[in-house]
Amino acid sequence: MAAANPFQDPIRFERRVRPCAVVIFGANGDLTKRKLIPALYRLAYERRLPPGFAVIGNSRTPMSHDEFREKMRESVKQFLEDSPFEEPVWKDFASGLYYESGDLKDPQCYAAIASRLAEIESTRQTGGNVLFYLSTQPSHYTVVIEGLAASGLARGNGWRRVVVEKPFGHDLTSARELDKEIHSAFPEEEVYRIDHYLGKETVQNILAFRFGNGIFEPVWNRNYISHVQITAAESIGVEGRGAYYQEAGALRDMIQNHLLQIMATVAMETPGVFEPTAVRDERAKLLRSIHVLKPEEVPANSVAGQYGGSSVGGQNLVGFRQEPGVDPNSSTDTYAAVTFFVENWRWAGVPFYIRSGKRLARRVTDIAIQFHSAPHSVFSMQNQDGAQWAGPNLLVLRVQPEEGISLRFLSKLPGTGMKLRPVSMDFKYGSSFGVRSPAAYETLLVDAMTGDATLYTRQDMVDASWLAVQPILDDWAGRRLQFPNYAAGSWGPEESNQMLARRGHEWRIP
Amino acid sequence: MSGSTIRPEKILKELDELWVNLGKQEGDGESGAVLRACAMTLIVATEEAEDDVGETLAQLMRDHPSRAVVLRVVQGDGPKLEARVLAQCWMPFGRRQQICCEQIEITMTRASLADVPPVVQSLVVPDLPVALWVRSRPLMSLPEFQVVHLLADKIILDSQWVPDLEQQVRLIQAFRAPEHRVADLAWTRLTRWRESIAQAFDNPVNLGRLKEIDRVRIEFQGEHTPMSAYYLAGWLKHSLGRDLVFEFRHLPGGDRPRVQSVALQGSSLDVSITVTGDRAVELHTGVCDAQTIFPRLSEYEVLREELSLLGRDPVYDAVVRVVPEFTRRTVP
Repeated sequence: MAAANPFQDPIRFERRVRPCAVVIFGANGDLTKRKLIPALYRLAYERRLPPGFAVIGNSRTPMSHDEFREKMRESVKQFLEDSPFEEPVWKDFASGLYYESGDLKDPQCYAAIASRLAEIESTRQTGGNVLFYLSTQPSHYTVVIEGLAASGLARGNGWRRVVVEKPFGHDLTSARELDKEIHSAFPEEEVYRIDHYLGKETVQNILAFRFGNGIFEPVWNRNYISHVQITAAESIGVEGRGAYYQEAGALRDMIQNHLLQIMATVAMETPGVFEPTAVRDERAKLLRSIHVLKPEEVPANSVAGQYGGSSVGGQNLVGFRQEPGVDPNSSTDTYAAVTFFVENWRWAGVPFYIRSGKRLARRVTDIAIQFHSAPHSVFSMQNQDGAQWAGPNLLVLRVQPEEGISLRFLSKLPGTGMKLRPVSMDFKYGSSFGVRSPAAYETLLVDAMTGDATLYTRQDMVDASWLAVQPILDDWAGRRLQFPNYAAGSWGPEESNQMLARRGHEWRIP
Repeated sequence: MSGSTIRPEKILKELDELWVNLGKQEGDGESGAVLRACAMTLIVATEEAEDDVGETLAQLMRDHPSRAVVLRVVQGDGPKLEARVLAQCWMPFGRRQQICCEQIEITMTRASLADVPPVVQSLVVPDLPVALWVRSRPLMSLPEFQVVHLLADKIILDSQWVPDLEQQVRLIQAFRAPEHRVADLAWTRLTRWRESIAQAFDNPVNLGRLKEIDRVRIEFQGEHTPMSAYYLAGWLKHSLGRDLVFEFRHLPGGDRPRVQSVALQGSSLDVSITVTGDRAVELHTGVCDAQTIFPRLSEYEVLREELSLLGRDPVYDAVVRVVPEFTRRTVP
């Protein structure tokens, strides 16, 4: 075992990446330009990347190293957030950028990458450690994995890891096939399935909130919590991604991965230690505890929606079927709402309502924990004007846009009578900690390069998530959905409100 | 509130009124009201001009929202005590609601010093940490301030400009106590130097040659040897756990005492960090060189780091124990 670095100071120093190289497949794509390279540059700016760090980009487009560097330079300047562009830092970072064009099906492509990696290992002292990042179209994942395995790149002098972007399959069967393919080249502990929602500071803060404070866990169960609402709403439409989106839909694109992961984070049991395996074990256990709907239960516990055109604030918004690249008869869900139940002692009988949609009234992602009302109220809950203020306590964990936590409780209105009204106690992440939060991709890239998989999805979680949504996908595929059923700019279809009303609940307006 | 007496209850009442007025000015009955933020009490002991501290505090409040209690000692004969309250507000980018922190300023002459600590005790925000930033060095050793020291979970000093380092180290050691932590901004400024050295030894090749290190050369600029040079030496000695040959070399130029380069050398090892321009830095690791920047750190930036660490700093504690070996030496 190598000796520990005696100069380490974990209290003061940020986590640093040890010598390694990153190979990005799909380096000419949007994700590389908008997220990956700006995130890596930011890490270089913060001196968290090792001297000699290298990136090899790959795509079909022929390009020289310098052309690739220039292209990435423009991307960093355009998409870098909250950070200055520093020429000396860029120059040093860019000296480690390389480009190898090639067809993913061509063995020569991998031979070229292998040759470049060997050269880098010697000249830049990367120790043979390589992170392969699949930023290609999902249909190419299998091809790349096969190429890496056949060329011997999946094994080397140092560690070899692979980062896979969602979607991890388009249903349970394809997810398992993909998994089998990946495992033929990489063991599970070297596979990093990225869910960028888990990299968000506020999602990580859920863990701090739940397990760092002693006062919430005792009430975090069916005895005190009536139900949970998780909302991920977007005000925009498909924005040019119509062709992709109509193959996915809201249930696959958001609920199967991001929102079920958030639900698992909210509802999981306390891990024994804050360590990747322990945290992921608890998340996986929770996902496996989700009640899998029987076919006859699906209609009452799920709602599919698709937006139609409308006018909002004088702006005419087209319906999904009129979006460019979308089939005019498309039956893709741009809205999905599902009632999930967790079959364990903590959550038995507590509905978890999850909804996600495009072209909703506003962009917001939050988690609302609705507590039971007081068992007996000693106060009249009716004001003189007849307004009812019977609102039970509500804890809202806001993920975006204004990250924070608020607790609603009743307070006495100033005056002689005992009139109550709800007030909100607010904690805003940005106002209490003004320091810049790292972008999700910065966090997740450092995690992958340092071998910390806490915020990554494991295959058993992917399996459990698909199991939970598969009956709904099957049901929706087997019947003709009446679309469009909600107007752009609204909060979704009326059936969604009815789904909650059946249990005496209603969606809050986030 | 002016004259020779101030009452904490009155200051707190004025604070309440300040918040009510801010709410009236900004509030539209809906979401426009100001948001009050407070995560600690930050006591600042200073003799400096008002603008200097005010600007640093205004920046600092965004990262560490606090109730700032500024104790300003001014020239003058006879007793004089004045207090005023104000708010530090800012509008976060893209938000509709101002965030505000409160600031209490107490101005006093030396003759009134003894009256101040009991007032400060009443102004501390309950149940939150208390940090004391002694910006003005002479105030640090005044007996009247002992009570204020005891209130603080953390005392922050700055040895950068101090010429008599032996005495400064004695003072720091005297301050250290189980009840509170002591921090020195001269140490804080070294974080990125230390981090870069640590990074050079993340590489297994260098890590394997660690035992070869037998000489360290530290170059600096300024009128006197900066405390940071000795801290760096103390840290290297502590980290390696053995004696090394240290060479401290004064370089001409420079308007302030600061480290310019550090080199760790052995038979087949040469790791160095050198400031080559205003901000440009060259990292020579022996295996792969790199360039980076060390932007000049403002008072706000180093304080921001220190206020993020309210717990014990075991590395600094260990270095403080080693540093007297160096401060006792005469540097040519």
